[in-house]
Amino acid sequence: MSHRSEGLRHNALVYESQDEFLARAVPFLLEGIEAGEGAVVAHTKPGLAMMRDALGSDAEHVMFVDVGSAYTRPARTLAAYHKVYAEQLEKTPTLRAVADVQFGPDPAEWDLWTVYEAVFNRSFAHLPAWVVCSYNANGSPDRILEGVWQTHPEVIEREMWSTSERYEDPDDLLRRLVPSPEPISELGSIGAGRDEEDFRERLARELLADGVPETQVLDMLLASTEIYANARQHGGGVEDVRVGRAEGRFVCEIVDQGEGFDDPTAGYLAPRDGVGTGLWVARQLTWRIEFFRSPAGFTARISL
Amino acid sequence: MVQERLTVRQERDLVIAAECGDSDACRELVETFLPAIAALAVGFQSNAFDQQELLQAGVAGLLFAARRYDASLDTPFWAYASFWVRKAMQELVADLARPVSLSDRAVRDLARLKKTRRAYQQAHRAEPTTEELSRASGLTRAQLESLEATERAPRAMDDELAAYVIVDLDAEQAYQQVLDDLEIGYLRDLTDELDERERIVVRAHYGLGEHQQTLDEIGARLGLTAERARQIEVGALNKLREGLAQPAI
Repeated sequence: MSHRSEGLRHNALVYESQDEFLARAVPFLLEGIEAGEGAVVAHTKPGLAMMRDALGSDAEHVMFVDVGSAYTRPARTLAAYHKVYAEQLEKTPTLRAVADVQFGPDPAEWDLWTVYEAVFNRSFAHLPAWVVCSYNANGSPDRILEGVWQTHPEVIEREMWSTSERYEDPDDLLRRLVPSPEPISELGSIGAGRDEEDFRERLARELLADGVPETQVLDMLLASTEIYANARQHGGGVEDVRVGRAEGRFVCEIVDQGEGFDDPTAGYLAPRDGVGTGLWVARQLTWRIEFFRSPAGFTARISL
Repeated sequence: MVQERLTVRQERDLVIAAECGDSDACRELVETFLPAIAALAVGFQSNAFDQQELLQAGVAGLLFAARRYDASLDTPFWAYASFWVRKAMQELVADLARPVSLSDRAVRDLARLKKTRRAYQQAHRAEPTTEELSRASGLTRAQLESLEATERAPRAMDDELAAYVIVDLDAEQAYQQVLDDLEIGYLRDLTDELDERERIVVRAHYGLGEHQQTLDEIGARLGLTAERARQIEVGALNKLREGLAQPAI
């Protein structure tokens, strides 16, 4: 198996034992190191220790990253990985990575992390990286393992490399798994605002009156400014801005006068030539961003 | 301290406030769930490690769970968080139990790290952050984390420690440090990235920790025109934006 240096190769390794994991992961990284590629291991602390021991003296060529607590929200996790890959790609023209994905125990959130795996294909499509995500077959429910085949173009299972016939276009998968937003009746209008500065002043007053922590106020101002500016430039102008608390979170909705867009990966694409970075920034700074059409107009909902 | 039982809504609001970085909420969340964390820790009791460290791992697990918990999914918080608390404890136990072997280079880097940390402590009378340590030592953050992991050794349990008291976590800074460590490179306070004048303008204009002021008022305070204050603000916001949008290649 060779590495196409022009773009991402995103595979999954489904293993049944620690020995099988090491037997695949270690030679994979060593082959890359031998060829002058960078090597990254992103795992929990025990996983890092296991890989470090197995790599022996070659461990000094590998960047070890503890991702035990990196999986909080997909956009933030992508940004964290992006930073790691950027650091490695400053040193080597290409990289190989073994990454452990933390799905967690709650079936209600598994779709979110399957969405993360799907969007990874688009987010880092431009990077000269070969990333193998590892899954313990014995510790992963069938639904998660099915998601592995839907989100990785190639899967290594029982020592076999297979092209996944169940691989799903990331846009289609996101449309299928990301729930449609429900209307929120608790929000109130603060007016459309004259421009970005006026909008920020109005929004800041609402955030402070609501008791939002200081550090989050600026996060929300930056994130929502990106969306407000998009609405002015590409959405035919801002029709209304609505804010308030819903389900315990501060929410800002920006309604514009345009047709809107249908791009489920908007804001998940890592910075590169030809890709706007506003929504990438906005997603990192907030809990959730949703886009939908409503009778009021095309709406961006930003939840803090 | 005996905590009153929270309603579902109070618990949701507390978890969200903690997730948003509210230090008081983090403290209250920890105090509320500390007995439950301590009860889980009982299952890990051993003379191979320090019970206090186990509880701290549990607290980190709890705060991580708060960062990730989606209340709209209707899973009770402790039902969700207990998995991450237990996992954090399991990882600590595995980490302390494993044998440590270092390459020659790692030994040299470790010596460099210790020397840098000592020099910083002497110069600043404070612990360096990971970023400061990285800058001063020339080691990357990942290298520092790797070396710090290898520094750890099995510790004996101190019978004098009361299981439910975490002395180190009484300091607000300790909570914040746990929060900062939770996500790689995720900034808790963006204004830390600004220079002093930019910080003054942004904080005053948007009422961060002070009364919200107009650009005219801020300009007068700094001896600038309102337009110049506005330019400084725009530059500051662009700087923050660009910092979060650096391409990898």
